[in-house]
Formats: sequence, structure tokens, C-alpha cells
Amino acid sequence: MKTKISHTDVTGTISTDSIAEEHSAQNADDLDNMFDPQRLRLSQNFAATVGVKKRVTVIQVRKPGKQEFIRVHPSSDYCVETAILEFKEEGETYLVDPALWNDLPGELIPKIIYTTINRQGVLRLWPVRLPDEEGKLDDWNQSALESADIAKTAWIRVSSNRSAGMYETFEASGNLSEPQWPDITFTEILKIAFKGKYIDHWEHPALLKLRGES
Amino acid sequence: MISVFKNIIAIDFEFSAPAGERPYVVCLVAKNLTTGERWRYFRDELLAMKIPPFPHGSRSLVVAYYASAEMTCYLALGWPLPEYVLDLFTEFRCLTNGIKLNFGAGLLGALNYFGLPSIEALEKESMRELAMRGGSYSSNEQDALLNYCESDVLALAKLLPLMLPLIDLPRAILRGRYMKAAGCIEYNGIPIDSDSLLLLQEKWDAIQQTLINKIDSEYGVYDGKIFKTNLFASYLLRKNISWPQLPSGALDLSDDTFKDMSRAYAWLCPLRELRVTLSRMRLSTLAVGQDARNRCLLSAFRARTGRNQPSNSQFIFGPSTWLRALIKPQPDTGLAYIDWSQQEFGIAAALSGDQLMKDAYASGDPYLAFAIQAKAVPADATKSTHSSEREQYKACVLAVQYGMGAESLAARIGQPVIRARELLRLHRETYKTFWRWSDGAVDYAMLQGKLWTVFGWTIHLDDNPNPRSLANFPMQANGAEMLRLACCLMTEQNIKVCAPVHDAVLIEAPLTDLDFAISQAKECMKKASRIVLDGFELNTDQEVVRYPERYMDKRGQKMWATVWETVNELSSKSNDGPRLAKECGHG
Repeated sequence: MKTKISHTDVTGTISTDSIAEEHSAQNADDLDNMFDPQRLRLSQNFAATVGVKKRVTVIQVRKPGKQEFIRVHPSSDYCVETAILEFKEEGETYLVDPALWNDLPGELIPKIIYTTINRQGVLRLWPVRLPDEEGKLDDWNQSALESADIAKTAWIRVSSNRSAGMYETFEASGNLSEPQWPDITFTEILKIAFKGKYIDHWEHPALLKLRGES
Repeated sequence: MISVFKNIIAIDFEFSAPAGERPYVVCLVAKNLTTGERWRYFRDELLAMKIPPFPHGSRSLVVAYYASAEMTCYLALGWPLPEYVLDLFTEFRCLTNGIKLNFGAGLLGALNYFGLPSIEALEKESMRELAMRGGSYSSNEQDALLNYCESDVLALAKLLPLMLPLIDLPRAILRGRYMKAAGCIEYNGIPIDSDSLLLLQEKWDAIQQTLINKIDSEYGVYDGKIFKTNLFASYLLRKNISWPQLPSGALDLSDDTFKDMSRAYAWLCPLRELRVTLSRMRLSTLAVGQDARNRCLLSAFRARTGRNQPSNSQFIFGPSTWLRALIKPQPDTGLAYIDWSQQEFGIAAALSGDQLMKDAYASGDPYLAFAIQAKAVPADATKSTHSSEREQYKACVLAVQYGMGAESLAARIGQPVIRARELLRLHRETYKTFWRWSDGAVDYAMLQGKLWTVFGWTIHLDDNPNPRSLANFPMQANGAEMLRLACCLMTEQNIKVCAPVHDAVLIEAPLTDLDFAISQAKECMKKASRIVLDGFELNTDQEVVRYPERYMDKRGQKMWATVWETVNELSSKSNDGPRLAKECGHG
């Protein structure tokens, strides 16, 4: 319906001549229907008109906190067995390109990196040491591997027991909901987590430091 | 769309309305904006008319600025209310709600906003005073008043074409429909026990000091009539209470904080009530008319949420809950205070479509249902078997509704912050659909700069938006829509509504008809909830007061008793006091 509205300051007159009257109300019932609140309801589903997606920009690489319940991503696509370089004093962990592994004998640590999520939906990577070439592994790491395995199907928290020299696993007994894994590939996770900490060439500052050249 | 109306009549009344009284109509000017015809009448001529002098049938649209006042004039003249009303005030508020206006939301502010000339504020004020004076007017004064009245009508005529393209007319008509209901409600007023009010007013000075002496004896925080922060700090230290602080480090003494802390430490309630009573309550400003009824502007659509915002000092449902006991039905009549049960929870459930939340609402006890759904209590838990757990989950639900953080919730439930955080997490986890919807609404508002209700009441974001209040907007503002629609339905069925109060109404009826009126009113409220919530029906509860009983808000019961104990003590020292107190039913 098109409506022409004119106005003059002198008379304050409004014209309601309608150019096309096809929708005009013909009688009082039509008017009542037009203003019936049941027909006037607007949608309250605001999210349907504007899409907002949570974007992961930071992913920490560390073992879970001792009071934190976590799950490990059950898919093998979301973990990797690799070699990392650790600077313990600085608390820094670097992922090393396989092409450089043979050039760094004795410096790299074989680790499996799991994808974890906690009850608050925070995504992290959890590196756990793998057995060495002789197949040896201490109780700390052995127990951590076992914990990670349990966490693929249950909410757990891991806590160190110094006198036993290993991690203890505490499984939540409540009927808890399944984790909501974010829609992000493992490659993207690694890129975010190791941004600036991926060693793919010999002149990388971390390797210069290791060689005492920086 | 406006072409559906054959006549568009801009109107303005001048009237006087002393506090608490119905309007005394002075004059009317109306102009048919379709034909240019105009009408100018003074009081005596208007009193002789049984209907308005202009076309008022079903094809006429009445345009006004703050129409509830015009509607009270219709009622004072005994005229039938117009079928359709377009209130340019409500539409100006809707267009600018949330935006800072340099000249306010009055007619002058709207004219200024649209770049239209207006009469000087000073001139407007002097003419208002002349209208308020009442009594008889000389012919010059009559002309001056009619000319002034006509200037407002011409202002409407200028404003309408500029606003019309911005107005969502069908929903604007719905808001106009509420202004008719608001006019009826303002005209009705609330019955007050005026004898008791008079006695309280007479002795108020002495009462205040005695109240302080009585109540403060347990706290020791007053010096004379002055609340002393350092004494209060010492009290908190003695009681080992950790009190919220302002960023400056000073104690947060706002009433909201007192309210929260009183929930955690119930023994603080009398102190809070005393502070409210002394600081905000001015018995002399309570607007009660000669007919012993409390009347004031409901100030419809004044709040950002679109809720009414009547003056705290003039309205009996202001913050001093004990004072509400002055509400008393007149002989042979009764009152009913009817509210929606857990309205905000129900709205959140329905609008978000969260099935678990809907189930919780349908259970009748959403707080316990939440605890069961979160698996914190067994499925067969009841209010009596798990009362403390229920209280915590109730506090959590309310905290979510108020946009509270873990610290405030912890203070309210008297538990460590870690517990509060866990409860809030459980809410998010249990009601995932609700949270997705709520977060989506806030995201939308932050991206698009506005949110609206089912009937288009809109909040526009300023340069400092508060995400917590935005998250709460759909519940609060749609709650307001529901109340407005219910008031329309009720007043149109001739139910005598005395007051809308947040999520409730106070209605009045002869004792013989009271039960029927209550069932009708409840049906209207259910219908309003179904319309606003797309079929989801909210339950209602009611408290009924039959003459000679008085209305009593539980929260103010103790204070009311203390006040009358005080009045009786004071009265016993004078000769007429005991007699008066007894006559008022407090002896």
C-alpha cells in the first residue's frame, strides 16, 4: 500500500489519500484485525539474523591444572606424536619440523600432543612424553598417558602424588554432559598454539640460542 | 497505513490536577488533520457534552502527546474513550529510547529533536500555572489558555508528518491502546486508609526519631537522625560481615547493595527498611486525593524497558514496603493483587525455546526443577527435603536474571565465590539453548545497536552499552509488554484496575463480584502471556483483601507493626492519641 501524506504549516492538514487502497480496512472489523496484537508479534530470535562464531585465538600448551576436569579429544586426528624442544627455565616449548630432527640429536623430546577441553570449554594442548628409543618411560609420564586415555571417554582431573612418583587420576562420578568441541581442525589448533614457536629452519632464534650463537 | 483512518484528530486538554485528585478539565482544542476543521471549548461547554465534539467513531484516530492524561480528561467528562489512539510521546520515546536527549522527551523536546519551532519553555510554564490555578477565568484568560492549548495541537500537526515515516503504526496503536488503559488506571487510583495516613503524617517527626532509637539499638549506626558510615563499618567488623565496596574503597551504601546483603543476612532487613523509610519516604508527598485514593502519573513508557516509572514518593507502591499496608479497600469492596508466577523465568524459557527451562517452569517450582535438572538433588526431591539446595538454585536463577556475577551471588547465598561460580556454570550448562539465545541477543545488540520486544518497543545503544542490562532487556521489556496488554484487556472488560506493579496488578471490585473479577483478570493475564510468548502460558497467583482487612506486603509487616507500636506509645503521652489509633484499628 502506498500512502501519500502532505502537510502544510498554515493549516496543519494531513491528506490520507491513498494511491492504492487494496490493503485499506473497509470496516471496523478489518481495523480491529489490523491492530490485533496476535498479528503484531515480532520475532525475538535475534541470533538468527546475525551470526557470531566463537573464534579461538590462543591455545595454551601445558598439562591440565590439578583441579581442572578435562576431556581428551577421542579422535586420532586430534593428537600427534612428534618431537619438541623445551627450554625449561623459560617455560617455553617449541614444535620442530621433522626435516630438522636428525640435525638435533639429544635435544629433542619425543612427545604425544593431545587436544583437551575443560568444563568451561577452554581448549588446550597437553604434551606427554613418549618412551625413548629403548622403550623406557618413567611412572610420571606412564601415568599421564593412562590418564589421557581415560579422558577420551570420561571427565577426569590429574593430580601429582609425589610420594608415589606418579599422577593420580580422579574421574568425575556425576552424569555430566559431553564436551562441546569447537569447530576447528587439529592443524589450525597447532598453528594457533605454536604461533611463533614452530622451528622450521636452522637459523630460528631458538636454535641460535641452543647453539650459543645469540 | 494511516489512510485506514477517515479522520485524524489532534487533541489537547488543559486541566488542573492537584496531587491525588482527578483532573479538573479547563479547556480542549482539537483539530481534524484530515479536513482542517478545529474545535475550541472551555470547561462549561465541555461539561454539557456527552460525547466529544469531533468524529470519534471506529474510523477516527486520536493523536495526542502523553495521551493517558487526555484519557483521564475524557473520563472526567464522562466521554467514551476513543477507539484508536496514537501517542506521539510513546513513539518519540520508542524512537529515541536509550539515546541521550538534550531537551528531554516532552513535547518541546520532540519538536526540538525534529528541528521544529516551539513556544518558549517559560511561556509554557506560565500557561500551565494558569491552567493549574483552576476556578473561574476572565475572557482574556480563557482566550490565552485556548490559544496556548491550540499551539500544542498545531505542534502535533507539525510533528506527525515528520514522525509518521518512522512510526510502526500498528504497534504504535497498540501502545496508544495502553495509554487508554493507563488513563483508566490513573483515574481509578488506589484506596487508602486515610485516617491512618493522617495520624502518621501528624506524628511523623516524632515517629522517625523513635523508630531510629528502637531499630538502631541493635546496630548502633545512627547519630541522631544521621546514618554514620564509620559506625556502620564498626558494626560490620563486629559482625564479621564482608561488605561490597566502591572502586574508591568506600563501603557501597546503595539500596541495591543493602537489598542483596539483607538477603544474605536477614537481620539487616529492619535497618534497610529504616534507611529507605527515612531517606526516601515523604509522607506529605504521597499523592492522596480528597476521596482517599492514591493517584499519580504512572509515567508509562518512561523506563528504558518500557515499564511504568511512577514517582517513588507519590506512589504507594514506592520502595517503603511497610507503607503499602495503608492500602485498604473501601466498605463492601475488596482488592486482589494478582501477579504472574516467576514471570521473568517463564519469559526466558518461552522466548528462548529452551525445553528444559519450559519444563522447569511448568513444574510449578522452577528453582527446585533446576536443581533436579542439574542433578544436584534426586529427581524426587521436594521443597521440604532439599530446602537449602533449592534456596541456592533459586538465588542462582535470580542472579542470572539480574545479570549478577559470582561475587554478588556468593554474597547473596552466603557461600564462597567458588560455589557461586559453580552454580552459574551449572545454569549455563543446563540451559544451553537459553544461553545461546541470550548471548545471540546481546551479540545482535552490540552489532546492530538495538533490540526490541515482540511489539517493537526498542532500546537503542548509546556509546557505553551495558551487556548485562542488554541481556536482561528481553525479559524485562517483554514482561512490560505483557503487563500493558493485560491492563488493556482488563480495563476493556471494565475490570477496575487500581495499579500495575512490575509483574502484577491491583484490582478492586464490590465484595459480591470480587471472585468473578479475579477470575476474569487472571484470564486476561494468561491471555496476555499467551500472546506475548507465542502460545506459552504463564501462571498467576493472587492475594485477596476483603474489607475491613488491609493489604500487607510481607516484607514490610515487621516495620508496620513497629511503626504502630511507636504511634501508640507516642499517643499514650497525649490525650487524643489512643482514641485516634484505636479508631484506625491499631489500638
